[in-house]
Amino acid sequence: MNMLRLKNIHKRFNHLEVLKGISLEVAQGEVVAIIGPSGSGKSTLLRCLNRLEIIDQGTIEIEGEILATEDTEGKCQYVSEQKAREICFKMGMVFQQFNLFPHMTVIDNIIEAPMLVKGIKKELIIPEAEELLKKVGLFEKKNSYPSRLSGGQKQRVAIARALAMKPDIMLFDEPTSALDPELTGEVLKAMRQLALEHMTMIVVTHEMAFAREVAQRVIFMDNGDIVEEGTPEQIFNSPEQPRTQAFLKSML
Amino acid sequence: MEKIITMMGPMLDGVNVTLQMFFITLVLSLPLGLLLSLARISKYKPISLLVETYIWLMRGTPLMLQLLFVYYALPLVPYIGIKLPDFSAAILAFVLNYAAYFAEIFRGGIQSIERGQYEASKVLGMTYVQTMRRIILPQVLKRVVPPISNETITLVKDTSLIYVLAMNDLLRTARTIVQREFDMTPFVIAAVFYLAMTLVLTWIFNKLEERYAAYDE
Repeated sequence: MNMLRLKNIHKRFNHLEVLKGISLEVAQGEVVAIIGPSGSGKSTLLRCLNRLEIIDQGTIEIEGEILATEDTEGKCQYVSEQKAREICFKMGMVFQQFNLFPHMTVIDNIIEAPMLVKGIKKELIIPEAEELLKKVGLFEKKNSYPSRLSGGQKQRVAIARALAMKPDIMLFDEPTSALDPELTGEVLKAMRQLALEHMTMIVVTHEMAFAREVAQRVIFMDNGDIVEEGTPEQIFNSPEQPRTQAFLKSML
Repeated sequence: MEKIITMMGPMLDGVNVTLQMFFITLVLSLPLGLLLSLARISKYKPISLLVETYIWLMRGTPLMLQLLFVYYALPLVPYIGIKLPDFSAAILAFVLNYAAYFAEIFRGGIQSIERGQYEASKVLGMTYVQTMRRIILPQVLKRVVPPISNETITLVKDTSLIYVLAMNDLLRTARTIVQREFDMTPFVIAAVFYLAMTLVLTWIFNKLEERYAAYDE
């Protein structure tokens, strides 16, 4: 089953076209890594999936439900705000800058959205949240404020916070780029764990080793287009496109 | 000493008027200021423009002029003209004026919150109202405590402007006694009262800042 279908996505910032007709399908349980130079549009693509960016043209379908599509005149139409919100919170997102809520403790960060958005009772969500914290190895930090955590710990809380909404798809927007090198390992480990549990994941990343090891499919983007996609072996061992070859060479 | 005690009666009445002006203005202008700040950052241009104009008017003219206008000129305005008693007129002018200043403080606070906080809230499925109430405004409150504290202390002293409506607040009472008895003591007493009030406020705001210091950013 397709978790996600994109057809001919175009996105412009003023006159700059950052996505030039992207089409992509992601199957349930698939882990897709999107790599490419900065400014290639890979983060923008990810942000279009959950309305952090509004597309100018194209169709977005999440788990068979249409989020945005073109009307008969070719203009892009989104479904109602209410409907769009319901579709989008099936996707969890982890940001480069963590974006934890600084005025809430770790546990409150995790339970806030399930209580507020889904109306789940506090006593029901607390055990789940504690389970998630154990899973990312931060149970003992549950009453700390985010400012007391390291970057790696913050990002693991952010992952737990996204998982608390029980998403079907997880989006990662350069989750380790803001971390000191020695802290990326613990975050990647949590993500690897998720992949083993067959979470559908789309990961925009500069971590080539992670993409090679965990992803089932690697997409190379450049200049608003998908240049090449394939299995990690294909992309990393025998890339066909010169741009892919040049990029991978520069990453070494 | 005996003289001071006889002065204290009317002076305390003055303190009472000053405190009433202060509290009622504060309690009404803070929420109004918050509402105005939200309207000011509204996506709907006519609303934000209207509030911007309002703030410009309120900050661009002296509070004393606004006081005189509400009391003397408002009754003469066709259709909406109402004659307010002096206390109500003073409260109206103060609330309208202070709400404008508070609105700008809240706006600054709201706009200082990183975009990532809105984005995280949005992808977790929160509505705009939920995001503002649970995520943005609690953080704004922490950031605006120092400037709000500043305005509040200014308000204590600004209440003395109501003497132009012949209302017997602390300062006007002091001046009346000074002029009657050729004794400067009431001025000193008034100063002590103002200092005591601002001392209490400073203490309260320090406590608030301490409470918010529980989390850093």
